[in-house]
Amino acid sequence: MSNPFLIATAKPGHGTIHLALLPPDTPRLRTASYQYPLKLVSPAATRSENEVPKLVHTVYLLTYGGGLVAGDGIDLSVTLESTTRLILLTQGSTKLFKAPCRDVLSKQCMNVHLAPGSALCYLPDPVQPFKSSCFEQSQIYNISVPEDGMKDTANLCVLDWVCNGRPANGENWSFFRYCSRNEIYLCLPEGKRRLLLRDNIALDDYEQQDSIACRMHGLAAFGTLIIHGPLFKRLGQFFMDEFKALPRIGGRKWDSGSESGDEDVDTTTARRIARQRQETADGLLWSAAAVRGCAVIKFGVKSVEGGKRWLKNILAEDGSVVREFGERALLCLR
Amino acid sequence: MSASALHPLLLLSDSALPLGSFAFSSGLESFLAHNRQSKATAAAKVHAFEEFLEQSLTNFSSTALPYLIAAYREPEKLDLLDNDVDASTPCTVARRASVAQGRALLGVWDRALASSTSRDVVAQRAAEQLTAFSVAMKTAEVDEYGMQRNGHFAPLFGIVCAAMGLLCEDTAYLFMLNHAKAVLSSAVRASVMGPFQSHAILASAKLQRCVQQCIGREEGHLPYDTAVTTPPIDLWIGRHELLYSRIFNS
Repeated sequence: MSNPFLIATAKPGHGTIHLALLPPDTPRLRTASYQYPLKLVSPAATRSENEVPKLVHTVYLLTYGGGLVAGDGIDLSVTLESTTRLILLTQGSTKLFKAPCRDVLSKQCMNVHLAPGSALCYLPDPVQPFKSSCFEQSQIYNISVPEDGMKDTANLCVLDWVCNGRPANGENWSFFRYCSRNEIYLCLPEGKRRLLLRDNIALDDYEQQDSIACRMHGLAAFGTLIIHGPLFKRLGQFFMDEFKALPRIGGRKWDSGSESGDEDVDTTTARRIARQRQETADGLLWSAAAVRGCAVIKFGVKSVEGGKRWLKNILAEDGSVVREFGERALLCLR
Repeated sequence: MSASALHPLLLLSDSALPLGSFAFSSGLESFLAHNRQSKATAAAKVHAFEEFLEQSLTNFSSTALPYLIAAYREPEKLDLLDNDVDASTPCTVARRASVAQGRALLGVWDRALASSTSRDVVAQRAAEQLTAFSVAMKTAEVDEYGMQRNGHFAPLFGIVCAAMGLLCEDTAYLFMLNHAKAVLSSAVRASVMGPFQSHAILASAKLQRCVQQCIGREEGHLPYDTAVTTPPIDLWIGRHELLYSRIFNS
């Protein structure tokens, strides 16, 4: 934070995070500036649990009042220099408050620039749109293409999820509109860029009450987890393997498996079976796809707690996130 | 409509067009497996299906129509659009369905339709782009990002319609109606309903209204605006691979 003074051009809701690299190998949080209603808090950096621990910085993305009032706009720019690691966290769900009418939109934009070898872990709490809210957000990840091919590309483990509002107050997808955009671009040095991945979701009630709830088929939360880069190669493969190992739908179970008494199941299988039971109990459905060098995991669940439990369990089962970023990365999923 | 445009319109709406669309249920099979109602009455089943059909049309239009229209209007952007559709379809099963039908359409174009391109200047331009794309697909060259062409269905359908001299509105309607037909025919084969009932739905004013509404909502939308509007459909399509037994490829 080299400049403690207010920058004259600072606009409401704007923020900048710049994680610089001091040669040869010391990352340093050069900038973490923000304007109301956005607030950034950066606790002391921690170390990863690798054999050669790496310094990992953390920034909490906060808004005054824990959410966005109609008309609020957040515009955050994040820059990660080569080989730096950043965890972004939220403190509780991002609440979206009621809009006076459909035309008053609240917005949140995050533009991330990732240099080769850098890594971002962003596992936030879900967005919680209240009744009659109107919201759009975009998360754009610009990945610089390294000169020596994609071997040393940037790493991403980012989650975007939304829940049905405040079920205790009788809300169930009762907002006007919610749009979320997740895009990854590959950027060449000369300024050209190419879309690598786009995952947009648009829930609009088309001015009909309960029409979103009807389209959500009983789900209380829906989200996408995007994984990219060599650091998370194993994590992506883990999701693919676990997806393949899910029980077949509509298959008959010919043997109950309990007759032989105590079977030798190794710990991996035992954990897998326990998690699959929990998935069924929480009404969680998920799918995974490995496309264009990314792993994209989509999930829908009947309760936010169930979603957190699943994410935390499956990420802990693999262990990559904790190893590369430390326990703090999973803080929002507790 | 001029007589010259009616002919290709009927050609492209024909279920005999060899695209293999009958092999894809667009998530219907998986939807039925995930929402098994063994005790439900036939009427309840049909009702659930009709809801699915409407949501499927909405989701299909919000994810594919802007790409179709963009390819129709700017055929020279076909390469870019093909890449962007591929980037926006992060689902193995949906990708497979789109690429299989897109490549089949490209084959039909090469072998059957290319010689019957409309004489219109705009159509000629679309045909040139299409032929160039087809050649590039065969050589399987990679671009500076290391990506290959895929041959996704929506942009290719748009550009084929442009080359055949169809109007833009007709192209959009045809695309949506073909989707409705494909889902309805899979419903018949998955024994949700009989062929007469399925045709009654296809002919109904309700379906026409729904298709028009879907097209209306996407008016002015660019490929940048495409989005999933019924997230569970994405889940069902993705989980089609987990079905114990399958009669469709999606």
